[in-house]
Amino acid sequence: MKRLFARLGSLFRKSKLEAEMSEEMRLHLERRTEENVASGMSSSDARFAALRKFGGVEQAKERAREQRGGMWLEHLVRDTRHGWRMIVKAPLLSGVIVLSLGIGVGVNAVIFSWIRSLVFRPIPGVADATRFHLVEPKTDAGSYPGASWTEYRDLRERLRAFDGLLAFKMLPLNLGEPGREERVYAQLVSGNYFSALGLRPAAGRFLRDDETARPGGAAVVVISHNFWRTHFDGRPDLLGRKLRLNGQLLTIVGVAPEGFLGTVTGLDFDLWAPATLAPVLLTGSSELEARDTRGYSVMGTLRAGATLAQAQTELDATMKALAAGFPASNANVGAELLPFWRSPRGAARLLLGALAVLQGFMLLVLLVVCANAANLLLARSTTRRREIGVRLALGARPLQILRLLLVESVLLGVGASMLGGLLAVWGTTAVRAVPLPGVFPFRFETGLEAGGLAFTALLGIGCAIVFGLAPAVQAARVDSQLALRAAKTPAGRRGFRNVLVAVEVALALFVLVVAALFLRNFLETRTADPGFRADGVLLAAYDRSSAGYDKAAGVALTDELLRRLRATPGVEAAAVASWVPLDFHAMPLGAFKIDGRERSDGGLERSITYTVTPGYFDLMKIPLVAGHDFDPLADTAHGPQVVVNEEFARRFFPGISPLGHRIGGKPPGYEVVGVVRNALYETFGEPVKPMMYFSYRDRFNPAGQIHVRTHDAEAAFAPELRRVVRGIDPAFVLNDVRTLTEHVDKNLFFRKIPARLFAVLGPLILLLAAVGIYAVVAYAVAQRTAEIGVRLALGASTGRVVREIVGESMKVVCYGAVPAWLVSVVVMLHLRGGVLNLMILLGVPGALLGVAWLAAWLPARRAARVDPVVALRAE
Amino acid sequence: MAKNDFQTDLLQGTLDMLILRVLNRGEMHGWGIADRIEQLSKKVLSVGEGSLYPALYRLQDQGWIESEWGVSDHNRKAKFYRLTKAGKKQLEVEQETWDRLTLAIGEIMKSA
Repeated sequence: MKRLFARLGSLFRKSKLEAEMSEEMRLHLERRTEENVASGMSSSDARFAALRKFGGVEQAKERAREQRGGMWLEHLVRDTRHGWRMIVKAPLLSGVIVLSLGIGVGVNAVIFSWIRSLVFRPIPGVADATRFHLVEPKTDAGSYPGASWTEYRDLRERLRAFDGLLAFKMLPLNLGEPGREERVYAQLVSGNYFSALGLRPAAGRFLRDDETARPGGAAVVVISHNFWRTHFDGRPDLLGRKLRLNGQLLTIVGVAPEGFLGTVTGLDFDLWAPATLAPVLLTGSSELEARDTRGYSVMGTLRAGATLAQAQTELDATMKALAAGFPASNANVGAELLPFWRSPRGAARLLLGALAVLQGFMLLVLLVVCANAANLLLARSTTRRREIGVRLALGARPLQILRLLLVESVLLGVGASMLGGLLAVWGTTAVRAVPLPGVFPFRFETGLEAGGLAFTALLGIGCAIVFGLAPAVQAARVDSQLALRAAKTPAGRRGFRNVLVAVEVALALFVLVVAALFLRNFLETRTADPGFRADGVLLAAYDRSSAGYDKAAGVALTDELLRRLRATPGVEAAAVASWVPLDFHAMPLGAFKIDGRERSDGGLERSITYTVTPGYFDLMKIPLVAGHDFDPLADTAHGPQVVVNEEFARRFFPGISPLGHRIGGKPPGYEVVGVVRNALYETFGEPVKPMMYFSYRDRFNPAGQIHVRTHDAEAAFAPELRRVVRGIDPAFVLNDVRTLTEHVDKNLFFRKIPARLFAVLGPLILLLAAVGIYAVVAYAVAQRTAEIGVRLALGASTGRVVREIVGESMKVVCYGAVPAWLVSVVVMLHLRGGVLNLMILLGVPGALLGVAWLAAWLPARRAARVDPVVALRAE
Repeated sequence: MAKNDFQTDLLQGTLDMLILRVLNRGEMHGWGIADRIEQLSKKVLSVGEGSLYPALYRLQDQGWIESEWGVSDHNRKAKFYRLTKAGKKQLEVEQETWDRLTLAIGEIMKSA
């Protein structure tokens, strides 16, 4: 440190040190000259001999300067100043490099910090959230159904490797007086939820253990900081006030800290209530005792000294014991320990997968940018040959030239990093503000921290060194004699430049093919047949579980609602279903046996299930291929019925008709009355899945989604729908009224982000490749102006010269394009299961080659139009 | 230029040691150091005087010697160099290394 200061000081005392050094050497020579005179030489001979003995005075000085400390600093300052001058002198070139690199670095930083937040700060507002591990029950079929409340209590008691396991489950609630209700999102939580997370209330207190001890529990609720602001203006007198939730009055006891959003990645919760309130909030719910009512997430931190392996062993033993004790609910259910960011619920997995792909792609794009910058710098270093030659002739060593040029590109890198940093800050904020329409309170939590910014700087400067090194090495190897004699490039040197052009073309081609594939994939899902007709359908969700009907009253109400809707002018069809296809969350799996076709191992078959009213298939335009629709809701002449899809029939009734067979459950089971066409259920691009539809008549559900198909503009029907619903019961609240098309588009959201990005980036990459090729060819042609002049003077035709130059350039472009094209074919075969998309495989290289041709043709044509006399004089 | 570089490179480590050794007897100015090395080596070694100064600056930067302007015996202005404490220690280290090296080389030359 002290030495550094001394060096900084010597930087300012530079002139004094210089003077002292000159003085010392002058005295030395003077003294030697005197000695020589004394021994009888003439004065001029004496001086010459002294000088000869000393060697080159200036060289000695330069070597001495280098020995003096702090020279590196001095050189750095000098090189930086020089680099800055060179950058300013070529504003267009520097601008293109800084801008393209800045954008590349910025986009990468946004994605990087997003991934970082998801993995390292998975629970917003909770410090050190990576220490939490989820205990996730997992079925043999590979799904994660969540834990039941009783199972959670068993796990908490038996798993010694964990410090206090906590549990939570999402629960949408209706807030407010009947008729003016709004939908809010709560988590039912265990009593130790907040304490185990290490949170402190922003006001009031959190839940007490005794409030979650007995079913029914205390009617208390903790609200989110955001909810406090939006519903109470942040007033301090809210403690002790009551909220009406699903018709029940709950007392506010505390406010969660600001920034804490709950414990499901991507969701923003309003309230937390004791899990033991479930039977109160959901009238008649038996979920506190029923072992087959799953849905709780369980997590905890490892006890000091316990290892994951120990915990897993203990967990396996516990789950085995539970399976033996409660075969009805726990047979074939094991459990897994997962870090929080790998949670099967919430958006984490989906998001991380998409982000990882995006990051890989953007790094590739950055490579293209680097190759482009290298090409530009290389092209320019050709025009700087004379300058570099002069420097070498004046005694600069190759290493010094290398340093000079590297400093210049690092300066560009610093500029790009700053631009990238700004972009990253802006982009991260923009990502957080992305509006996500829909039922769920989605929210992206990502922040740019020191780590992200360091990543940006490192990436920018790293890239600068990568793309600066090659041209700098080339320049430093220049022969000063040749460089001074003529500004021409020797033929051998062109080889290196050609390699760089080929590399850029290859990278650009590959990146473009990947982008086109993603785009194509996205467009395909948009136009893919989902198996139902989405346009013309209006959706509205409702939840009457707090109204406390029995099944008969509920079915009657549903029947009446549909009858009135169908009688409304403009309505083509109306139905109710428990789910809407292509929602964000997974659908419930039903386990069942098929009468007369039981599995030999006694196991259960599984399939996703829907509950719908008669008329649903007709409304959704899902064709019936065999049998008939459900009996009307009011008609109880026949027993329970089920309709299956073709995949279900194929898998479980191979070769025979499933009609008339019974699917288990309690006797008499459900009779298969119809078979419908397959459709998409959970997500685009999913494999064909078996599906069972039940009737609302047989499996009443107090919540559901009203579907209305109208003759014209479905969105305009919303007020009419509300009017009809209110006519039945003024307290009947509709949530989330939207069209089915909107709903489906929402599912495409995660595909849309990358698709849009690719749509914007594709042309940009093409432009970058064009700029790189143009720069190199233009400079190369400029080098050959004289040669072209000679050939034209000797009678070569303009067309022939242009053809030759373009031909040479295109040969280099093809050297890059052909291998990249082959790699693309291989990648495509892998990604798309052997399907090649000819439009992409021919179109993308076609576009790229076209652009390259133009980038070569323009400078060639300009050169060939030059008057031969002018061209020859240029030498 | 290339030949010159070779010579100084070869001499670099050794020259530093010789300078430290000369200064161990007391303070001395630049040309005096050159004279003394030549004299002590019985004119076998002649220091390229140009490379003497870079070596002096290097040693000074490493903190092994320090310098001060003064007046020489001929009543002439000169810069005097003197060994520091760290320089004395360094000299011991180099002396030891040198002894070991020469001994080892001597052994090889004798036996081979």
